[in-house]
Amino acid sequence: MELRGTIKILDEGYKVGDVVKAKIIVIHKMDTGFTKDKESGKQFPRFYMKEINVAYNGKVIAHFDLDVATSQNPVIQFPFKVTGAGELVVDFINSESDKAQKKVAVTPVG
Amino acid sequence: MERRSFMKGTFALATIGLLNPVLFHHALAAEEAIEMPYKDLIEEYLSGKKATDGSSIMTLNVPEEPENGAVVPVEVTINYPMNTDNYISNITVLTTKNKVNKAISFDLTPENGMAYLYVNVKMGQTQEVVVLAKTNKGQIYKASKSVRVALGGCG
Repeated sequence: MELRGTIKILDEGYKVGDVVKAKIIVIHKMDTGFTKDKESGKQFPRFYMKEINVAYNGKVIAHFDLDVATSQNPVIQFPFKVTGAGELVVDFINSESDKAQKKVAVTPVG
Repeated sequence: MERRSFMKGTFALATIGLLNPVLFHHALAAEEAIEMPYKDLIEEYLSGKKATDGSSIMTLNVPEEPENGAVVPVEVTINYPMNTDNYISNITVLTTKNKVNKAISFDLTPENGMAYLYVNVKMGQTQEVVVLAKTNKGQIYKASKSVRVALGGCG
């Protein structure tokens, strides 16, 4: 299954030095390993989004370790301080080591 | 000769029979190990230290009665400086009565500018959300809020 995730900066018209919030949405199952298929009675294996790394202009600023108590299709919001124009690079890694990467440009005003 | 080989065979079978419950028990233990009880998680996080009551600096924005236990928004704001030598280095969100109680662990850096986290948590039953925050000097703050769940969202 293709791993899909996205990142978006929630604030608009921010300047250098401002603290802004960014939102990460991942389309991913968070199977606990305890649920059963209603028809076949088979147990679903544990399968979840495991790790999210956020780098701002090459430097890792945030690291998330997720576990199965997070909702399906996890939504995360986190702050960061704008230090200049550049980009946020997000790496998604799930419990089966599938990887995906997403980028968003940081464009401060003025 | 025939009798001897027959005896050997029965002995072998008997030993397998004795071993079997052991093997079975091991399999069960492995199955249980994937559960993460709240007690173990918090002990691991504190690792011998004591948590300070963080309700004065931590603001938890969690609905008391969410519509659905599968998506409970948890918003944490911590009023703490984020200087390069004194900052919040980790925020962990735990639940208390799920089978697996760890929701998320967020490692912060001073580049974050403020200590804030929003995450969706699932809850199987009425229980508490516990938020733990660790500073770079090792001090741990704890805040919790009880949530009433009518419709569970956790397998």
